[in-house]
Amino acid sequence: MKNDIPLFLLNTPSSVPPERGGGKVNTSYINKGIESFAGILKEGYTQWESASQKGFFHELDTRVKVVFWLFLIVVISLKKEILPELGIFFTVFSLSLFSRINLVSLYKKIFLLGFFFGFLISLPSSLNVITHGEVLMPVITLSKAYDFLGYYYIPEVIGFTGEGLSVVAMLTLRVINSLSISFLILYTTPFPEIIKALKVLKVPDAFLIIISLTYKYIFIFARIVADMHLAKKSRLAGEVNRVEARNWVAGRIAFIFRKTQLKCDDVFKAMVGRGFAGEIKLYQYQKIAGRDWAVGFFLFTLASLFLWV
Amino acid sequence: MEIIKVEGLHYSYYNRFPALIDVGLEINKGEKFAIIGSNGSGKSTLLQILAGLLFPSRGSVLFHAHELSEKSLKEKDFLRFFREKVGFVFQDSDIQLFCPTVLDELLFGPLQLGLEKGEALQRADEIMQMLKIENLRERPSYMLSGGEKKRVAIGSVLTMNPEVLLLDEPTSGLDPKTQVFLLELILALNEAGKTIVIATHDLSLVDELQCRVAVLSEEHRIESMGSAEEILRDEDLLLRVNLIHEHVHYHGQTAHTHIHSHYLFHRH
Repeated sequence: MKNDIPLFLLNTPSSVPPERGGGKVNTSYINKGIESFAGILKEGYTQWESASQKGFFHELDTRVKVVFWLFLIVVISLKKEILPELGIFFTVFSLSLFSRINLVSLYKKIFLLGFFFGFLISLPSSLNVITHGEVLMPVITLSKAYDFLGYYYIPEVIGFTGEGLSVVAMLTLRVINSLSISFLILYTTPFPEIIKALKVLKVPDAFLIIISLTYKYIFIFARIVADMHLAKKSRLAGEVNRVEARNWVAGRIAFIFRKTQLKCDDVFKAMVGRGFAGEIKLYQYQKIAGRDWAVGFFLFTLASLFLWV
Repeated sequence: MEIIKVEGLHYSYYNRFPALIDVGLEINKGEKFAIIGSNGSGKSTLLQILAGLLFPSRGSVLFHAHELSEKSLKEKDFLRFFREKVGFVFQDSDIQLFCPTVLDELLFGPLQLGLEKGEALQRADEIMQMLKIENLRERPSYMLSGGEKKRVAIGSVLTMNPEVLLLDEPTSGLDPKTQVFLLELILALNEAGKTIVIATHDLSLVDELQCRVAVLSEEHRIESMGSAEEILRDEDLLLRVNLIHEHVHYHGQTAHTHIHSHYLFHRH
């Protein structure tokens, strides 16, 4: 082996470090890739860590939680007044408080998503061109009003109406409430438990196993992709132009696709090796405990009350 | 001459799970150095920090007395200097091979360093010859066996002619013949002047290489440091860090329990 070493490997280049500086190298697409995939992994760990702690909602049977979640979403969608929506908001807030969840991190996410998907999306509907009513905040004043054959009317003063703003508040609250209960479930229940609990809704076992495999492989592949970015970083000695960067990313997508196919074959073989013959049978839950029935009854009564408020 | 110096290094994943706590070590030029420890002790993390791929939350890493940091590795000249000097071979060769063919893999590094195409090609040919992979020249990496992928992964780093070679679990998952080939290659490269740093839990590899060893504990700290002979003789230490274990064992028809390591007792 010693004699096979090429000459260039015996020739050690100078070990004197360069003068510092020489301009900056932009490898942001690599660093961003590493950060975003590390973010996916971190999110998974955070969810698992939070869900594995002890707390009021954590200890409740997952089936009760899942059915309560769906029931509350229906109640939230049916209510058309702000007061009951506020009541639901404070109920979920109290449940989160009793469950000792990190409220700052929870509500930061909820309000951010609520702002974009509730408030910003519904805000244009509060303009008097869509929702008629008394204009509280004028935005544009036109030279005259326009009437399109009685089908559509554009008033002279366009602005936000009181009625429109209350609709926006309603919709935003609905989004925030739906997110609050969904995040409360996610923060207090390990994801595989949620999947299994869907059995009570008669979701087929085959579908459940596909969802849990998908969830698992998101993390496996996120780790592989993050490692690939690290491997690329370890051999990058200078700037990479945009075309090369795009080609590399495309190549990696193809690689992940191939790897997914191979993994898929392996998983199937592993399933066959453990007795799979076309029908999936998941472990059945034990009976719901008395405490869970009692808490479930209390929660459903509370949620039903909002229907009449 | 000290080439790498690590002082008071701490690293944790997601700011939650500690991977390395207060690690300090020095690696000299031309040395063979092994970081050993059980699974999850932080070996690979430490190696990635030495490769400037991860950055410690506390403490410092010096390479040729220059601090390795996110900032310093954004400087064009220093990045080029560092990547030319330090080659990293990942445990999973799949993630390291990202070019269309084996030849492209071998050319990637030298072209990055700005070598002429002719010189880069010559390097690639010589490396293929040394690693006995000339027949794989035009083959895509996904059509290679595990041993072939490892050879290509090492070749892709060697064409950059690094001064320091960082190898993460180099013999893991390889057949005995490829393992021997790799061992001989590592020794030959070391004799050629390369500094070799490996992360492994393969005690026989440590014995074969007769390198200086840093032992990482399951608490992610440096438990001990010394020559391969000193470390491999210390059974209590190896038991404590979970590198050897005690289990029921058969000799012919007789079963008995003793401390067991394939390397320490059977030398295979």
